[in-house]
Amino acid sequence: MRPSCWATLAAAVLLPAPAWAHANAHPGGGLVTGFLHPISGLDHVVAMVAVGLWGAVLGPPALWVLPVAFPMVMAFGGLLGLLGVPIPGVEIGIALSGLVMGLMVLFELKPPLWLAALIVAAFAVFHGHAHGAELPAGSNALLYSLAFVISTGLLHLIGILLGETRRWPGGRRFVQATGGGVALVGLWFLERALT
Amino acid sequence: MITPVAPISLVQAWLPLAHLTPTGLGPWGDGMARLFLEPTDLLLMSALVLLAAQSGRACSDRLPLLLPLSWLSGGLIGLGLHTELLLAVPATALVLLVGMLVATGVRMPTRLLTPLATCLTLLFSVVAGSSIAGHAGAAAALLGETVGVAVLVTLLSQVVAPPQPRWLAIGMRVAGSWIGAASLLMLGWLVRHPT
Repeated sequence: MRPSCWATLAAAVLLPAPAWAHANAHPGGGLVTGFLHPISGLDHVVAMVAVGLWGAVLGPPALWVLPVAFPMVMAFGGLLGLLGVPIPGVEIGIALSGLVMGLMVLFELKPPLWLAALIVAAFAVFHGHAHGAELPAGSNALLYSLAFVISTGLLHLIGILLGETRRWPGGRRFVQATGGGVALVGLWFLERALT
Repeated sequence: MITPVAPISLVQAWLPLAHLTPTGLGPWGDGMARLFLEPTDLLLMSALVLLAAQSGRACSDRLPLLLPLSWLSGGLIGLGLHTELLLAVPATALVLLVGMLVATGVRMPTRLLTPLATCLTLLFSVVAGSSIAGHAGAAAALLGETVGVAVLVTLLSQVVAPPQPRWLAIGMRVAGSWIGAASLLMLGWLVRHPT
């Protein structure tokens, strides 16, 4: 691919970045809105993909424990947000999630399962809280919630599939590079959150 | 600080579940569409099928007959009620509970799961029957929803029938997690937006 094509691709990926997932105010509930909400912000997208990537790096049973545990804990965070229970530093926590999990993938760190689950769960609360606090009122609330959760789960699946490329020649380096990219995006959002 | 709205809303959140949405297909079609447009019942049925499939062939084989019959019986009782039952919060909490049982991989004995599935289906269908009782063609709508339940339960039971391959067993737990997470968000939503 020519350099100009790479530049165009990079611009297409990076330019929508300022539209954080939880900063968009959607006009109403429903299946499509709920599905699009998690993928409308790069900070959320990279963190969710990183969960799957890290699961793939850790291997079974983390490969499936993390995607099973994450939605429930994220929904718990969403519940806190909906109830108005404040959590300090939500934006920082979300940015840190990308940075930390990206680094985990980059350096192929493999802590015990309980610790990995704890790290992912802690970050899931931040992501859920941010989304829950801004969920719009709508007539199809359950459809919205379901689509929202499924969309997040599919981002995990994308991460897992990317992580499974480790089985192929050069795949391991690709996964590490992807983790590095996630960490950089997380770092960028962290800088934005701190300033 | 927890907003004072939360506990007040929790008390007020005994909301009606969905009524019929006109689809242009007549009462039969409206009833069938109700299952998918307002999917609390859909999630419960799906979660029960998954839970039964996790629990073994004996449980799984009974549901395609048991659940539609229970649905029809409870729906007829609901149609005969003169008041609409307002049970959105406890109904959502029950779906959350069943979803969590699936997500955690619980295997229930047949003698426990069969009456549990029957009671839950009866409860939900009584509520459904009472909510559509005031509509023209309510009996046809109930029949349409019952057929929808039968088709859903039969198809899903066939797909997830034990013994499942490893990937399907994991997928079922992920689905349970999604159902639980969506229900948890819905609970928060009901508290946040009680009207």
